Amino acid sequence: MNVFSPRQFQTPARDDVWVPSSCSICYGTCSILAHRVDGVVVKIEGNPDSAVGKGRLCGKGVSGIMTHYDPNRLRYPMRRTNPKKGLYQDPGWKRISWEEALDEIAEVLRKVRADDPRKLVVQRTTTVTASRVPFHAFASAFGTPNFSVSGGGQHCGNGAHLISGIMHASWSVVPDFDYCNYAIFFGASKGHSAGHASCSNMGKAADARVRGMKMVVVDPLCNFAAAKATEWVPLRVGTDAALALGMCNVIVNDLGSYDGPYLQAKTNAPYLIGEDKLYVRHAESGKPLVWDLRLNGPRPYDAVAAADMALEGDFMVGEKPCRPAFQCLREHLRKFTPEWAERVSGIPAATVRRLGTEFATEARVGSTIVVDGVTLPYRPVAAIAFRGAQGHRNSVYNFYAVDLLNQLVGAADVVGGCLGFNPTSHGHPDTGRVSYVPSAGPDGLMVVGSWMGYHYPYPPPPPRLPKNLGLQDLFVIGMTSPFLDSVDSEELWTKFEVPYRPEVMINFGANLVMSIANKDAVAESLSRYKFIVSFDLCLTETSNFADILLPDCGYLQSLDSRSNFPFIFSLPGGLGEWCWPIRQPVLPADGEQRQFAEVLLELADRVGFRADLNAAYNAWLDLQPPYRLTGDERYSYENICDRELKNNFGAERGLDWFKSNGVIKWKKKPQEVYWRPFVDVRVPVYWEFLKPIGDKIAAIAAPRGLNVPLEYYDPLPDFLPCRSHCCDKPGFDFYGFYYRDVVHTNSFTMENPWLDEAAQLDPFSYAIAMNRAEARKRGFSDGQMVWVESETGRKVKGRLKLTEGIHPEGLGFAAMCGHWTDGQPIAKGKGVFYNDLLELDWEHASPVNINLDLCVKVRVMAAESAS
Amino acid sequence: MGIRWDAVVDLATVDIGTVPPPTPRFVIDQACGPIAVDVRLFGALASCGADRSFRLELPARATIADVFVRLGERFGEPFLALLLDETGAKRRYCRLFVGGYPVEDVNTPLSAGADPSEIEIILLVAPEGG
Repeated sequence: MNVFSPRQFQTPARDDVWVPSSCSICYGTCSILAHRVDGVVVKIEGNPDSAVGKGRLCGKGVSGIMTHYDPNRLRYPMRRTNPKKGLYQDPGWKRISWEEALDEIAEVLRKVRADDPRKLVVQRTTTVTASRVPFHAFASAFGTPNFSVSGGGQHCGNGAHLISGIMHASWSVVPDFDYCNYAIFFGASKGHSAGHASCSNMGKAADARVRGMKMVVVDPLCNFAAAKATEWVPLRVGTDAALALGMCNVIVNDLGSYDGPYLQAKTNAPYLIGEDKLYVRHAESGKPLVWDLRLNGPRPYDAVAAADMALEGDFMVGEKPCRPAFQCLREHLRKFTPEWAERVSGIPAATVRRLGTEFATEARVGSTIVVDGVTLPYRPVAAIAFRGAQGHRNSVYNFYAVDLLNQLVGAADVVGGCLGFNPTSHGHPDTGRVSYVPSAGPDGLMVVGSWMGYHYPYPPPPPRLPKNLGLQDLFVIGMTSPFLDSVDSEELWTKFEVPYRPEVMINFGANLVMSIANKDAVAESLSRYKFIVSFDLCLTETSNFADILLPDCGYLQSLDSRSNFPFIFSLPGGLGEWCWPIRQPVLPADGEQRQFAEVLLELADRVGFRADLNAAYNAWLDLQPPYRLTGDERYSYENICDRELKNNFGAERGLDWFKSNGVIKWKKKPQEVYWRPFVDVRVPVYWEFLKPIGDKIAAIAAPRGLNVPLEYYDPLPDFLPCRSHCCDKPGFDFYGFYYRDVVHTNSFTMENPWLDEAAQLDPFSYAIAMNRAEARKRGFSDGQMVWVESETGRKVKGRLKLTEGIHPEGLGFAAMCGHWTDGQPIAKGKGVFYNDLLELDWEHASPVNINLDLCVKVRVMAAESAS
Repeated sequence: MGIRWDAVVDLATVDIGTVPPPTPRFVIDQACGPIAVDVRLFGALASCGADRSFRLELPARATIADVFVRLGERFGEPFLALLLDETGAKRRYCRLFVGGYPVEDVNTPLSAGADPSEIEIILLVAPEGG
């Protein structure tokens, strides 16, 4: 294998090299080797030298060639000539020069920045993770807080990531595949499909199954994880909390198999709770009190040895009756009997009881293990959740309830347990960078050491009358907001006195019209913008709303110094290696394509805020002297990447070093991976902080006519039904839901002909899955065309695929298909556009984390014409 | 069974990799007299009508918190609310650098060296998802 060098890249003829770089067909961002022969990429493989994928690459990754060479790629900037904007309006694209495009964009940006920079909304896809810093830096420098990541954030991020952050100091959670013996997945496919660290996790999960790890998958659909699981447990859509709480009740109240010492030392379980549901605090210090069993009295939590903290009992502090949080939790759990869980979820009570017993038994509470010479707690069980479980109005409690299983048996960030990836890093041995460790914040609860942005999961900031269009500064638990596009956005902005309105959007590759909810709502929102500029690879349904289109470079033509950082996002968890790969161009730009990061730098120069952008890059990349960007000097993006690499790994390891070597890696230490015993932080098994936040939000919202249901802000989790669970319209007897298809990434990859072919061979990818027995009862047949109608009258049409592998009440839709743009002829007309059934308003968002509710009660009707 | 969960790790023998605090690496010399700092504002702070670059004279033993007080006096409460929450804590997305090094603790003392310290302040975008 020839080793790549920049000199070879510049050789015009007869080259044959393998170039180390990073994939970007999904946000897993696995490390790749691209084989280029005579200027043509002929193959893409996983890079065995990298910990990100370890040489494995999924079918989507190897198909990246076809996305790159798509003849429908944009090659020139274009301006619309039709001023009318709409879902089916032809923009009348006309080719323009970059000079014209950037002149026009800069003029618009200059005016809006002088008027009110908050009128700019920056929107990006999550698929290109390395676009995070350039766009965040641009928005920060411009002066707008209004930033969104489209459906990716609203469908999973607000629940999965914030709660993983609060409980595990990480963006997501996985079982410790190296040691876990019993994993239960709630609406998650980690290790079996796409997503964070996907290829690495697939290898680890496969090895774990061979080793004998029992895997239970709880999901309405026998999905990609369930197909390889020991047991599939179908449940009614959106009722994950019911099963999890039922299991918690079995563990605590039936079996008494919880990990008391862990709860004492590492959670807020001993904190005393008053009748007002709040901590009882020390009069002088304000710290939460615990009951000291040795002294038989209340003391601040940090003044008592963990072993002396009471977990149960009723106490008096002064005149105030109180009890430990664990006692409150224990009492709270009693109502969630297996029989109750069966009524809500449809899972037999005996199964609920068995799963709770298995989880508690397999946890081996009290055991230890020696890893690389370090003695560590050993809890080889893990309960994980992702989008399926938390994509509901009850988002927070669904995920919270699932993670309580880990917390009750002490299986959090210890050997064999539920791991955040990778919450603690001691940095490269030569430089000590990048290093971070969770720390104790207010009330001793954990604050993440690293995060994707500055909206930390804990402590949430005090709610205030919102200044952001997404209202996240009021609904402070939420991250990505539906209220930028919702049908009631204007009503909400008026209620909350938001003093400006969005006027200009910069979009990077996001297809909002398809990825958030029903297309009419999003189209209405987009049509209100005075000016939209969109960076795209191909025309999308959303780029048709743009005023100017900019042809972006694809990932095989791009440079990025941090394709896999932060480590909490897509570096695999568990033991192994730290690894920092880069992305580098394998091929030159085609036509007049330009990489977005360079274009943003030039726009800043033209508008006149390069000094701000340099300062923003310094902050986002944490550049320190001598690598900081100074003044308004016009650095290239390549120069900025070089500085970041030298800043982290030393002067000798700049961009040239990385271009030749592809990755830098070093060994993880057990105390980094299994950090929980070494770091003095606690996590909340009783979310006391929710209540005052809810009260404060309600105090702001109620006088302005918005009712915030405070039952969602109770400190202990519950099952609170979605709108779909409350629908009693005759004939509406299925719960519609979508799942992420293993061969597709969001709405992006349907245009890739190899993946399209794979999807056509898969009987489910472009179909609607219905339970076979239920279909027979209703006279439906396999392959029949049907209309699916929501209770609000929204309709989509698709072909049925009958299967035993779906809950009788479920109706499963794969991915986000159903494109209609002429700009993607391969994708056009394939599959079903499930999101078109989703409502986009306050009533269909979680009142806590503003995550969209993704389940819909529907009826199914035979379509007139079958095919 | 029966082993204390938090007793299995011998902290004395294991490298727990304590992270060096992100404090500025300038020399702290509180014995000197008044402190001069050059403040530079970026992003939203620079585009909301405030001067983007100015010098502050502060008394000996001044801290970052004193800089915030002066900024409030100079630009008013609405400006200060961009930097601090209602409890007076620095907003997490408000990043502050002294001499090029990040400072999170507002009680960090300022240097009284021969040259004024340069303080850069910028508000970053808070939310992220995906």
